[in-house]
Amino acid sequence: MTSHVGRLYSLALALFVFFLTWTAIGARPWASASVTRKDPRLAALAAREQRLRHESVAVQRLVKHRWAVYRVQLRKRQSQIAAAKQAQAQAIAAAPSVRVVNLPPLTATRTS
Amino acid sequence: MESRRFRAMGTDIELLLDGDGAGEALAAAESEFHRLEAILTRFRPDSELSRLNEGGSLDAGPELLEVVELALAARARTDGRFDPTVHDAVVSAGYDRSFEHVPEEGTGVIVGSVCGGAVRIDGTRIELDEGVRLDLGGIGKGYAAMRVAELLSAAGPVLVNAGGDIAVREGRWPVGVETAESELTLELADGGLATSGSDRRRWRRNGRELHHLIDPATGSPAPSDLLRVTVVGSDAVEAEVWAKALYIAGEEEAAREADVRAMPCVLVTTGGRTRLAGGLA
Repeated sequence: MTSHVGRLYSLALALFVFFLTWTAIGARPWASASVTRKDPRLAALAAREQRLRHESVAVQRLVKHRWAVYRVQLRKRQSQIAAAKQAQAQAIAAAPSVRVVNLPPLTATRTS
Repeated sequence: MESRRFRAMGTDIELLLDGDGAGEALAAAESEFHRLEAILTRFRPDSELSRLNEGGSLDAGPELLEVVELALAARARTDGRFDPTVHDAVVSAGYDRSFEHVPEEGTGVIVGSVCGGAVRIDGTRIELDEGVRLDLGGIGKGYAAMRVAELLSAAGPVLVNAGGDIAVREGRWPVGVETAESELTLELADGGLATSGSDRRRWRRNGRELHHLIDPATGSPAPSDLLRVTVVGSDAVEAEVWAKALYIAGEEEAAREADVRAMPCVLVTTGGRTRLAGGLA
């Protein structure tokens, strides 16, 4: 009798220990330890991302500056072209009326 | 139609006035030509221009002042191809006296002179840089023609021909232009017309053919593939200035520039071709 109850207790204890071990192994305590340790590849990736962000800001600043310079030069060139067109239009307007005709000349020009 | 012909500024002057009873006005116009010549010539030691060239500075009268201002503006407009500071270069090439007295042949040394020196105007005072002297021969004739045409225009439509530099006020005037082959007639209304070339006012030194059109860049008579350039301008000064500048530029550049500036012109090449440009057809 005594040994029968003892065997039952032993079996229950063994089952308890078995399931406790299973739970402990199932929780993978070693995995959480490795996650908290920093992966060097991730660190390199993060550093690269940071560097690229900085470079992107610098490039954007440079492009913005060049665009502003270009806009100024464009406005200057456009005003030069407008002035040249106006001067040409004035020259055309101021040009004396002249045409080739089939008439006897009243006088003649020659090297002065 | 009344007309008057006389000599002044070393060339033949012709006045044509479409009106009657303008004898007095024509006589006054002739006097004006002689008066301007006495101011602007480099061949008289007592002219205002000669005194400026001699002394390097002068309180100038209104006419000399205006012509010098026009010449300096023309120098800037033509990028230095027209330049009044060619005096020493013309003289060293042999054109050192009124042209009818320049010997056709000679043995003088030909030295290119530096051109482009500074000319300052302060109020009525003109100051030349050390060694700079002015020749206003060409532009002076254009100026005189323009001014006399203005004076005469009160009496009616007028044409003034100062040895090829022509100024017109009102009316329509047929003017003969010598081409390579013969002559064509341009009908001109209000404005000016001038011809520059190496077919006249030429002479020889040490066997070398020389002429009066100096390239300011070299200080020597300009080598050009053009024989003669006739330009129509808004006035006779403008026409005279550009005729000289286009001659120096050469055929291709002259045609291009005339087109860009809408400046009617007749180009006669040394090869015997005639080319119309600047909208003239």
